[in-house]
Amino acid sequence: MTAQAGLAAPVRHGRPGRTLRRVRSWIIGIVSIVLSLFVFVVPFVFIFLTASKTAPEASNLSFTWPQHWALWDNLVAVLTTRDGLIVRAFVNSAVLTIVSVAIMVVVSAMVGYLLQRKRSRLNPIVNFFVLAGLIVPPAVVPTIWVLQSLELFKTMAGLILIEATFGLSFCILLFRAFVATIPRELDEAAVIDGAGPVRLFFTVVLPLLRPVMITVVVVQAVAVFNDFTNPLYFLPGDENATVQLTLYNFQSQTLSQWNLLFMDILLITIPPLVMYIFFNRQIVAGMTSGAVKG
Amino acid sequence: MAWKNARRAWLAAAALGAAASVLLAGCSGGGGSSDGKTQITWLVQNDETTVAMANAMIAAFEKANTDVTVKLETQPAGTEGDNLMKTKLSTGEMSDVFYYNSGSLLQALHPDSTLVNLSGEKWVKSLTSDFRSVVSTDKGLYGAPLGSSQAGGVVYNRKVYDQLGLSVPTTWDDFMANSEKIKQAGGVAPIVQTYGDTWTSQLFVLADFGNVYKADPDWAKQYTANKRKYADEPALEGFEHQEQAFKAGLFNSDFASATYDDGVKMIATGTGAQYPILTQAIAAIQQNYPDNVDDVGFFALPADKAGDTTATIWQPNALYIPKTTKDAKLTAAKKLVAFVNSPDGCEVQTSKLAVSGPFVTTACTLPSSVPPLVQDIQKYFDDKATAPALEFLSPIKGPNLENITVQVGSGISTAKQGAQLYDEDVKKQAQQLGIKGW
Repeated sequence: MTAQAGLAAPVRHGRPGRTLRRVRSWIIGIVSIVLSLFVFVVPFVFIFLTASKTAPEASNLSFTWPQHWALWDNLVAVLTTRDGLIVRAFVNSAVLTIVSVAIMVVVSAMVGYLLQRKRSRLNPIVNFFVLAGLIVPPAVVPTIWVLQSLELFKTMAGLILIEATFGLSFCILLFRAFVATIPRELDEAAVIDGAGPVRLFFTVVLPLLRPVMITVVVVQAVAVFNDFTNPLYFLPGDENATVQLTLYNFQSQTLSQWNLLFMDILLITIPPLVMYIFFNRQIVAGMTSGAVKG
Repeated sequence: MAWKNARRAWLAAAALGAAASVLLAGCSGGGGSSDGKTQITWLVQNDETTVAMANAMIAAFEKANTDVTVKLETQPAGTEGDNLMKTKLSTGEMSDVFYYNSGSLLQALHPDSTLVNLSGEKWVKSLTSDFRSVVSTDKGLYGAPLGSSQAGGVVYNRKVYDQLGLSVPTTWDDFMANSEKIKQAGGVAPIVQTYGDTWTSQLFVLADFGNVYKADPDWAKQYTANKRKYADEPALEGFEHQEQAFKAGLFNSDFASATYDDGVKMIATGTGAQYPILTQAIAAIQQNYPDNVDDVGFFALPADKAGDTTATIWQPNALYIPKTTKDAKLTAAKKLVAFVNSPDGCEVQTSKLAVSGPFVTTACTLPSSVPPLVQDIQKYFDDKATAPALEFLSPIKGPNLENITVQVGSGISTAKQGAQLYDEDVKKQAQQLGIKGW
């Protein structure tokens, strides 16, 4: 309080007060930039530097300038490991992420809309299962039995369905909450204008769900892209590797190639980073709208 | 306008579905043997050295057996790997041949019901009896060795020892006296500890088991039957030594946060003198400090009495064939296992793997030029002063040992408290395994 009063006093004198305020905002700005540099850029620089070192140097794990730049050698080594396994893994991860997130968005938007708008005796049952999906942990071996009996085990289709299923409950809750904020009058107006249920959903409701859709896409794409355990258990086999699984190529208890490991991490970090650069406005908007309306 | 949008949405949805199904179809196509060759799959852990060795092994094997092709599969090692192995075995999805730990981790796979008994194979005769015991149950023998054995004990820097005129200690008191001298000379950390990687903290206890075994050969059996405890001598010794070393201030100053790689660096470059660790560390030294390979040596973790000092030996991992491998594939799988244990297979092993100790089959011999560290281990074998590590004699290994030894080694708990904590930890594990007497 006293500090504020002290700062407020000089403002009345005009010039000196304004400079003081400007200095203060500058200081705050600089401090926050430095802080964010530390939190976000320093780890990234560390990854980059370690990825540029030779194996002996990288094993120190120190924040130093590389003595010999081996960035290109490491890149080639990582890309050619196991006959280009990593390129294959990128394709797999991309397919997995895009398709499973697409399924999640479309299906959960429909379910969320219906759960919110239509009152029926089925609602409590559906709600129960949605909550159960959030609470009950998935068991590995029985899930594999189900997949085996459907002949979906060891296939990308099987893993996509698993990822979509595991993410569905969370998405449905988000959509259901968001649909509540859309005025029912809009639906009624569309119905009076002669729209059928399908057209009502796709042309009137879905565009209005855009903010929460972006939230869901961002959250789930990150979750699926970064998932390690599900691909490990449900999609064994080298040709099925996803990017997170490739990290283990360079790491073991008694011998690790830190330079190659960090190069791999660098490569894996790039796609989400590029996505963020292109879509950051929508992502931030989607996050905040999701946060307020949720 | 609205109508157009709706149709576009439908088209988009349909296109998405079509794209997905095309992709899925592309991914689900399976392989098979079309040209009369038998194709088998071989699963190994996916660290670079193992994969390089496996690829070389496959190339040599396929050259000798033109009717078989081997497809390599990989998976992570460690806890995730253990769970994945069990998952694959219980769902019938295991590869035709797989590479895995011997000893207690093998027993956890229930080999009698999941693996093919290999006791009738020709190569079995050339195995050492120690190795045979760690891949067998009462009903059969299941594994063939791949790789060399390794020892757990003290890896030391020979240059530091030479400069100070120290000799290899055979009793704990000698060891402490040596360490004090190194401390007084200054500049070099007498004992390296690296609790940043908690598993490295266990060596004071685990590598002391050879000494326990020498003092009481029946210890492991009685321990499994709940009749021996870590809180009593001789096993308490390991915890006590760790406590004494900490209290004497002999550890490197950053022992609490240093990592395994830091430890390897210290011992290779001579900024640390003695590092209780597994001799597999030679692989990291060869990769990161190739000029210093000849500077490191090995001695067994000393016991209180010189007569008890025994090197603790870890047996190599082994190849196994699951029961789901049948007919032509089984024949081919057995061929691969036999090849690994033939002179040709040994050649691949010695050229591609870091040899960290003697081999456990007479089919393989150590190459003529091995690092001094391996020669040091060989001496213990020649003197018959070796014993298997506890994990090969008893299925019980408490999951929290590494946390407890960090406590003891950081002065948080006393040796006695630590040993009692570990006995409690072990109890849970034994009950889970359903062992009699717990």
